Amino acid sequence: MAVAHAAPSGYLERPRPSGLADVIEIILDKGLVIDAYVRVSLIGIELITIDARIVIASVDTYLRFAEAVNRLDISEDGSQGLPELMESVTEGGAKSKTKGAVEGAKEKLGAGGGDDDDDRKSGRRRQAASRSRRRSNDEE
Amino acid sequence: MTSARASIEGAGARAVAGDELAAIVTDSAGATRAADLMRRHWQILEAIAATDVVVPVQFGTAMADDDAVVAEFLAPRHEDLVAQLEAFEGKVQLTVKGTYDETALMRSVVDGSPAVASLRAQVRGMSEAAGHFKRIQLGELVAAEVEQVRERDAAWLHEQLDALAVASSREAATGLQGAVNAAFLVERKRVAEFGRAVDAAAERLDGRIELRLLGPLPPYSFVNHGVPEWA
Repeated sequence: MAVAHAAPSGYLERPRPSGLADVIEIILDKGLVIDAYVRVSLIGIELITIDARIVIASVDTYLRFAEAVNRLDISEDGSQGLPELMESVTEGGAKSKTKGAVEGAKEKLGAGGGDDDDDRKSGRRRQAASRSRRRSNDEE
Repeated sequence: MTSARASIEGAGARAVAGDELAAIVTDSAGATRAADLMRRHWQILEAIAATDVVVPVQFGTAMADDDAVVAEFLAPRHEDLVAQLEAFEGKVQLTVKGTYDETALMRSVVDGSPAVASLRAQVRGMSEAAGHFKRIQLGELVAAEVEQVRERDAAWLHEQLDALAVASSREAATGLQGAVNAAFLVERKRVAEFGRAVDAAAERLDGRIELRLLGPLPPYSFVNHGVPEWA
């Protein structure tokens, strides 16, 4: 099936086939309803992922949002990251000041626990993803 | 209808004719995986919609046999179906969907809400157990903010595109990062123009929302509403 990715280069210039993801909710939830009882129950729609369906407000949803907002890098916080601090320190000051600023920056960035945090975060994400898949299978 | 007939038969479907109307059906005996059925269902409808009007029936609707299709569907709903087919003549549905860039979205949520920023900072240092309920609270706040961003983006998108369509329908966004989901009923002769307008919108949204244009589709979002007032 052709899905046009609306890109500046022009409509339908590069149609690309897509998976069912974008159209699943259209196929399943819309269209003419003839009579409720004639619709067969659909067993085993293993392709349904959270990305293809309308998200229902739930604790699981909120936890996923909390994870997403926590994934923002510290360096994107607007507070000065290490490189900026180094620059401003170099412009300014004496040796002792420089050392102090670097130590301070390390503490701020929580350099100690960096790698472990990342591993734990991805572990949580994997868990959340498989919980959602299992739930989808149960629902269907 | 020749091209449509070829697509119908090529996909293993056939037409069951009633009075003036035909239903397009496939036999469900020996049905394979649901995903394959869905794919086939979609291919048939998309192929027809490229050139002809077709009223899409909700996927999974099954009837006993051809006689039942006429007796339980085509005959009792004859007037309504004819009216809808006439109303949709010369028009197609185009659906515009968008997905947020997660980083950009979360950035704007944090920047736009001191409450989110502060709660996020609190939660950051807390263990999984200790921070559990605060995380849920944070997620709720973020969800509410995201919904507001969606509202604004949907309103903007409709502003850009409604004038080129006969009718439009705002649908629920899909997925956590779903941004927009809007269905437009567009005259066939304006499809290219509509496409260019979507291109322009995509450029404006570049980096923040990835926009996708689906269609021409059967008028999924515009059936079930009786004969429309714009007909």
